[in-house]
Amino acid sequence: MKVKPVNHAKAAEEFLDDAPHLTFHDERLWDMRQKRDQQMHLLPEWQELRSRASAIKEHTLANLPEYLEQFEANAKKNGIHVHWAADGAEHNRIVGEILEKHGAKSLIKSKSMVTEECDMRAYLEPRGVTVTETDLGERIQQLDGQMPSHIVVPAVHKLVPDVAKIFAKNYNTDPNDNSPQSLAESQRMAARPVILTADAGMTGGNFLVAETGTFVVCTNEGNADLSATVPNLHIATLGIERIVPRMADMGVFIRLLSRSALGSPITQYTTHFRGPQKGGEMHIVLVDNGRSARLGMEEFWTSLKCIRCGACMNTCPVYRRSGGLSYGAVYSGPIGAIIDPTFNERKYSTLPFASTMNGSCTNVCPVKINIHEQLYKWRRVLAEHHELPFVKREIMHMAGKLMGQPTLYRTAINGTEVALSTLPRFVLYNWLNPWGKHRELPHPVKQTFHSWYKKNRLKDKKESQGGKA
Amino acid sequence: MKIGLFIPCYIDAFYPNAGIATLELLEKLGQDVEYPMDQTCCGQPMANSGCNSDAAAAEALFVRNFAKYDAIVMPSGSCTHHVRDNFDAIPQTEEVKHVRKNTFELVEFLHDILKVEEFPWAEFPHKVGLHNSCGTLRALRTASMSELGEPYFSKPMDLLTKVKGISFATPKRPDECCGFGGTFSVTEEAVSARMGLDKVKDHYQAGAEYIVSADTSCTMHQQGCAERGGVPIRFIHIAEILNGARS
Amino acid sequence: MSSRDTILATLRANRPDPAAHELPPVAVLGDMDAGKARFEDALQLLGGQILLPQEGDTLATAIARRFPDAKIICSAVPDFEGTIRLEDVTSPQQAAATDVLVVRSPFGISEMGSIFLSEAQLNSLNSAAHLTQHIVVILSEKNLTANMHTAYVERPEFHTANYGVLMTGPSATADIQGVLIRGAQGVRSLSVWWE
Repeated sequence: MKVKPVNHAKAAEEFLDDAPHLTFHDERLWDMRQKRDQQMHLLPEWQELRSRASAIKEHTLANLPEYLEQFEANAKKNGIHVHWAADGAEHNRIVGEILEKHGAKSLIKSKSMVTEECDMRAYLEPRGVTVTETDLGERIQQLDGQMPSHIVVPAVHKLVPDVAKIFAKNYNTDPNDNSPQSLAESQRMAARPVILTADAGMTGGNFLVAETGTFVVCTNEGNADLSATVPNLHIATLGIERIVPRMADMGVFIRLLSRSALGSPITQYTTHFRGPQKGGEMHIVLVDNGRSARLGMEEFWTSLKCIRCGACMNTCPVYRRSGGLSYGAVYSGPIGAIIDPTFNERKYSTLPFASTMNGSCTNVCPVKINIHEQLYKWRRVLAEHHELPFVKREIMHMAGKLMGQPTLYRTAINGTEVALSTLPRFVLYNWLNPWGKHRELPHPVKQTFHSWYKKNRLKDKKESQGGKA
Repeated sequence: MKIGLFIPCYIDAFYPNAGIATLELLEKLGQDVEYPMDQTCCGQPMANSGCNSDAAAAEALFVRNFAKYDAIVMPSGSCTHHVRDNFDAIPQTEEVKHVRKNTFELVEFLHDILKVEEFPWAEFPHKVGLHNSCGTLRALRTASMSELGEPYFSKPMDLLTKVKGISFATPKRPDECCGFGGTFSVTEEAVSARMGLDKVKDHYQAGAEYIVSADTSCTMHQQGCAERGGVPIRFIHIAEILNGARS
Repeated sequence: MSSRDTILATLRANRPDPAAHELPPVAVLGDMDAGKARFEDALQLLGGQILLPQEGDTLATAIARRFPDAKIICSAVPDFEGTIRLEDVTSPQQAAATDVLVVRSPFGISEMGSIFLSEAQLNSLNSAAHLTQHIVVILSEKNLTANMHTAYVERPEFHTANYGVLMTGPSATADIQGVLIRGAQGVRSLSVWWE
């Protein structure tokens, strides 16, 4: 059976029906966007930082094999075990084998979008490994059985009572606790014993540095540092595109990352892992999972520049009003809509259409990915690959024909019932019908501009030219 | 300079006054303007839906209609954006290149080409909120955008401030998209309508009696949302104000 | 062929033209103020504190005043006693009982209010910096660098430390309805003591 495309529109409609959640979601993310703007205004060199970040990333992607080899050599020299995973399955197998070798049954981990991509928890848990997310938002999502709805703030679509209910069920706390402070404290108290007894720790990572074999992890809660330093076994998973050439390049990226993401100058923790700690063992899994193929897509390879700040999501008026889960994918929002189709073109064929292509995303992107232009290009690719709904394709085909024939078009438009008389009524009616669900139709007019012009200008012209025209 | 006037389909059919005002305004400014009677559409709806090859007939017709003019002017930012930046369903002949290079949105034409200094006939004794469509804001760049933190500029405001009696309301999120988005307004109608309602409420709460815009597609959608949502605000094309409309 | 070789081969086949994408030279941009005031403002913005000495204060009396209920004060520096020395803490489980950890940071970054710690300052028990409830960081004004660019260009630690963390204020989260909470998972407070 062919996989069905994600129905973003329907999921969004459900999201919109819940006013308190919708209002909070929109305002919270808009506030993050505004805080980002405030940080930008404090840095006169902001646009230069963006240009440099983009140039460094494009250079690195064009030289990716060499930089990965350099990274690998340096990391190995520092005592890190380096693994390569072609896809999610191989990634999970590698992690499972490392854990098995150490007899590790309890894994604590910080947030990693790559492990979400690989659906790693679902692989490890049946094999007897208890996986505990240590990031508060990610833990809330794990306990609720949901994917992260935002790449930086995974539970941003939830309100305090939602969290209270989830914690009550899992931590035996008060289901009516309405204090975020006390709920966060509950998580701290619940997490500490798990952290202190865990057999292994896992982190994602924001950057790989080829020059030194370092990987850099940016968090605010300190949970990645706890996950990495308390157990003696540390496994890190990063996408192969996360690399930069030189340690000095980190200055550019660290200055942009948290300012773009949350509007804070830097994350509370910026940690550089260059080798195992004393008595410890460190592994890094470099994950491809479609990235090397994406590098070959002429119109879309620059999406690999993404540093996962989420600024495009925060600014996106559609994302703010539909919620991350409505995208039905690991990556949501504008960046999700341009990379998800590379994972599954049919399933995510609707996502490039879940956008007005307003372009705000492109202009907040710290690495200057032309997101809205890629959305436009994806629409073309999807149409060419026949991944558009039949009705839409037919309408566009007929509309396109009609627009090329002025006489027919004029017949259709007169009376202002646009195209209704020439297109099969049931098709058009069904397709255009949603306009009126939450909106009034434009008011009918006495005459079109075309008729007005004919009456008021062509006549004059004819008279002035002696009736020749 | 011979000007070809393009009137987008939704203005032709639903908002002819915006088209008439555009024509009259250009004539008042002494321009030689013609409206080719065989025009239909610039091809944008098909192209934006991904069906680029279906835009070819419309684009070819557009070129047949307008190749003979020195400048092509249209009261629509999004159509201008399509012609200038995305008009590639047909082979890029010299004629096509000429058309694409010489197509202007009305505000930029008045501001950059004609460099109009005054509209002595214009008076609009109302408080208005300016809606810059995303096409004018982020593609044609007729105003500064908040995303870039660049120095403030606004070609539509430069023109509107020359109108007697006009005053301005500033919404909280002036650069936020109103949610029209072409076929998005139908395929994602719930989000689209919500964005539209939020947009008109933002203007209304800022004290605007009118939302003025260079893009009627946006305001057609916003008007629909305002009327359904009970937001008492009116809509007007910038050409109508500059041409001397009083209400 | 191994996955490694397959991935590298695909990347070689698919990559854009390297000649069209030059590496820009290292950037040192922005405000070059390496001052204490800038550091303090930045630190406080992110919830960090300055441990200000009162008349006649030593670090010990200042800590006693700031943390009156602290039972286990662990010292990682030779010039401060504490109740236990970090060398005598042998496991994360033991470190988790710490109320206050006193460490010395080799440098700070004025732009961010960040301090740096590595295994060299933590006696190789890196988790100690995160399991303690509070941390007090001794820092010298002369070891401030202006911003992230100068930090990465100037400081050798980024090339030598196996574990190097820039801490900027305490652990924080805003994951529950956007409410900012200090002391989420790591330290509840971070205070800087100028020496």
